[in-house]
Amino acid sequence: MLLLGPGAMFLLLFFFSPLLFVLAESLRGAQGQVTLARYGEVLSDAQFRIVFVRTLKMALIVTPIAVIVAYPSAYLMTKVSAGKKSILMSLVILPLMTSPVARTYAWIVILGKYGIVNQTMGALGLFKEPARMMYTEGAIIVGLLQLFLPIMVLTLVSAMENVQEEVEEAALSLGSGRIGCFFRVIVPLSFDGLIMGVTLVFTGCITAYVTPAILGGAKVLTLATLMRQEALVLMNWEAATVIAVIMIATTLLLYNGLRLFKPRNLV
Amino acid sequence: MSFIELTNIDAGYEKGKPILKDFHVSVEQGELVSLLGPSGCGKTTTLRTIAGFIMAEKGKVVIGGRDYSNVPPNKRNIGLVFQNYALFPHLSVYDNVAYGLRRRKVAKELIPEKIANVLKLVSLTGYEKRLPSELSGGQRQRVALARSIVIEPDLLLLDEPLSNLDAKLRDEMRAELSRLQHQLGITMIYVTHDQVEALSLSSRIIVMNEGNIEQMGTPEDIYERPATPFVANFVGFDNSLTGTVRAVQKHRVTVEVNGSSFVSTRVTQVAGGLSPGDQVALFFRPDDTSLTDEAGENTIAGEILYVNYQGNTSSYALKVDQESIRAVMPGRPMSGDTREIRMRIDPEKLIIERV
Amino acid sequence: MKNSKILIAIMALMFVFLIGPFVVIIISSFSNDAVMRFPPRGFSLQWYEKVLNIQMFQTTFWMSLKTGLAATFTALLLGVPVAYTNVRFRYPGKNVLELFFSSPAIVPGLVIGFSLLRFFIYVTQVPILLGLYLGHTAILFPYTVRVVSASLRNFDPGIEEAAVSLGSTPLHAFFAVVLPNIRSGLVAAFILAFITSFNNVPVSLFLTGPGVATLPIQMLIYMEYYFDPTISALSSILIVLTVIIVQAAEKLLGISKYM
Repeated sequence: MLLLGPGAMFLLLFFFSPLLFVLAESLRGAQGQVTLARYGEVLSDAQFRIVFVRTLKMALIVTPIAVIVAYPSAYLMTKVSAGKKSILMSLVILPLMTSPVARTYAWIVILGKYGIVNQTMGALGLFKEPARMMYTEGAIIVGLLQLFLPIMVLTLVSAMENVQEEVEEAALSLGSGRIGCFFRVIVPLSFDGLIMGVTLVFTGCITAYVTPAILGGAKVLTLATLMRQEALVLMNWEAATVIAVIMIATTLLLYNGLRLFKPRNLV
Repeated sequence: MSFIELTNIDAGYEKGKPILKDFHVSVEQGELVSLLGPSGCGKTTTLRTIAGFIMAEKGKVVIGGRDYSNVPPNKRNIGLVFQNYALFPHLSVYDNVAYGLRRRKVAKELIPEKIANVLKLVSLTGYEKRLPSELSGGQRQRVALARSIVIEPDLLLLDEPLSNLDAKLRDEMRAELSRLQHQLGITMIYVTHDQVEALSLSSRIIVMNEGNIEQMGTPEDIYERPATPFVANFVGFDNSLTGTVRAVQKHRVTVEVNGSSFVSTRVTQVAGGLSPGDQVALFFRPDDTSLTDEAGENTIAGEILYVNYQGNTSSYALKVDQESIRAVMPGRPMSGDTREIRMRIDPEKLIIERV
Repeated sequence: MKNSKILIAIMALMFVFLIGPFVVIIISSFSNDAVMRFPPRGFSLQWYEKVLNIQMFQTTFWMSLKTGLAATFTALLLGVPVAYTNVRFRYPGKNVLELFFSSPAIVPGLVIGFSLLRFFIYVTQVPILLGLYLGHTAILFPYTVRVVSASLRNFDPGIEEAAVSLGSTPLHAFFAVVLPNIRSGLVAAFILAFITSFNNVPVSLFLTGPGVATLPIQMLIYMEYYFDPTISALSSILIVLTVIIVQAAEKLLGISKYM
């Protein structure tokens, strides 16, 4: 217990106390009474609703795409030789370790007014004039996908590494094709990893700040950029506090909700 | 045409580096054939080539008259039992066994009965709902077996299926496998490195070494008349002496070993072509030797280095003609401090191989 | 096989999507154009020159470096004993405590930064810099616990017991036997935590103010006002540094197994 003391003290003082303070703040009325009035205000605000729905929608788009792209790639990565795997793994880790500002900035170069897409399309005569792709939901979705794909790949690789080669062979020898074997054996056996990956990516999308800040700007707000705007631009601390609590609540709900999923009997 | 025919097979894990080269083997319907050999001898490669996990670079795999060379494993009707069982950890015993039936689109109403029958066959009735993690090693083995025989395969392949069990369970499962084979009449190919397993189960044994077949034959052929020095060594002819052939008669070869004369009346395929003057090796088992004081035919002088008491028997480490020899004799170690003795080997216990 | 060709195609596209943008940034950083145009019309090094001449980038780089080092060091100091306790001992309520210690990884960084700002402004008037340091330490803490735990799990407790049986006190055994053997795990934790801190935006966002900003925050501020390739050049520098560190760490420590 002595060993846990310093760490526990630190978290209690500098992590949990501030959180509880913010939670209390969000519930405190003008006369010091406990009230949900602030939540009512924020939740009934039309702009908040649009932003909240938009944020959820983008997470709901990004997460399945990440799963569909990452699963086959991760599966293949568990099958290649150790040497190739280590190269592929470092290609996955590299973006994860690179500054998200730098990574997201790349999309300005690609999607901007004079970016690759517009230049190419213009040269091919497909666009009469540059299309506006920056500051759209599409841009944020692309950025989020690039940001979170590596996390999905890593969790799936580590989940599938534990599936014995022989179990797959047993399925094949019993008559499953490669695809049948993937869905009946590999997916159920890596299901915990899938849930973990989905949780991380989904909550990541909902709370990401850098990507919507750069690619959405003030035009396409998400929960994170809205919260910053309320706090630092509009100095509406009450609203920011409520949004902060809603963010935590959404995250915790997802963490615990998704954990309840058990691999269905897919056979 | 045999039931299984492998012809001109080149196969291995890496392209261009075949473990099996120009490999031939044939197995008859209803046989239980063991592939016996040390690790790396190509027995598992052979098994995986038959199963379809290794596609031969060259040659043909024919089963039941049909060319399977390019058929993927899931389209071959072959049962496979793995060394580590490879049960589906997320499925119950029932679903594990049902897996292959469902892939074969067996009518839903037939499945429960088929599973009940096969579980009864392997004495696992009542375990349907258990997960593999809730079973003992022997029970997992039975599930693996049930899972692969319930699909009524043309052929059952077993890859060292007993090597993860303890000695007592291994004996039980061996008897069980034997019973199943007789009861079902299914053709089985059994990979093992354990000669006792191969001898007790098989109708035929194929001894392999470095991708080649050293010898094929009945368990008795292999055990009593090993055809090559490798096989002799593998089935327990641990001792060897070298000598020169002096006389060859029809069922009798005389060899001189450093001044002592040995007669062998055990004629093997190779010994047939011997002629006087050939350099040969004499192979014999430790328990086919006896130690005496008397000189005479088929004896040679030796020195006892040390003796180990083993209960029923005593094991002697000897030095004979500069070779280390192990001799096992019934009873307690010889009393006294005899060091110099003579070792005798019966003519019918001695095999001769050209070196 | 037909199936695996499709798999290879999907994976190849994924890597183009993941790595392609880096190539684009690096190429664009050598542009001679003041507008973000791709492909660039000509070559120049002017944007690199500009990065080096902007005082704010240098100031905030040092700020990020110092914050990262201090927070990483503190997080390791707090995290190693926690990791050791969780790997070596069983005690009632362990699951709850493990969740307790991993909670900074679950709560959104933006909220952590925000709550620290509100709390400190309301309760005390501590300098914002201290808040930045505390916020970073909090998010790195679960990171260090996880990485150090992973390397402790691979270390046979019998070896430690052997040291104790030979006369070491448990404390001495920890320093003499355990720490040297998990050195590569500690270094991996240090590198991963430091990079995490150095790149962090959400926690820093609310904990920066006049005179206190980290490099990523400064980059965001710059991007709000200027659209020239300066950020391309700065990003390229960061990417190259990351490639070097990640490659070295992977070669020397096999860092991917701690991710």
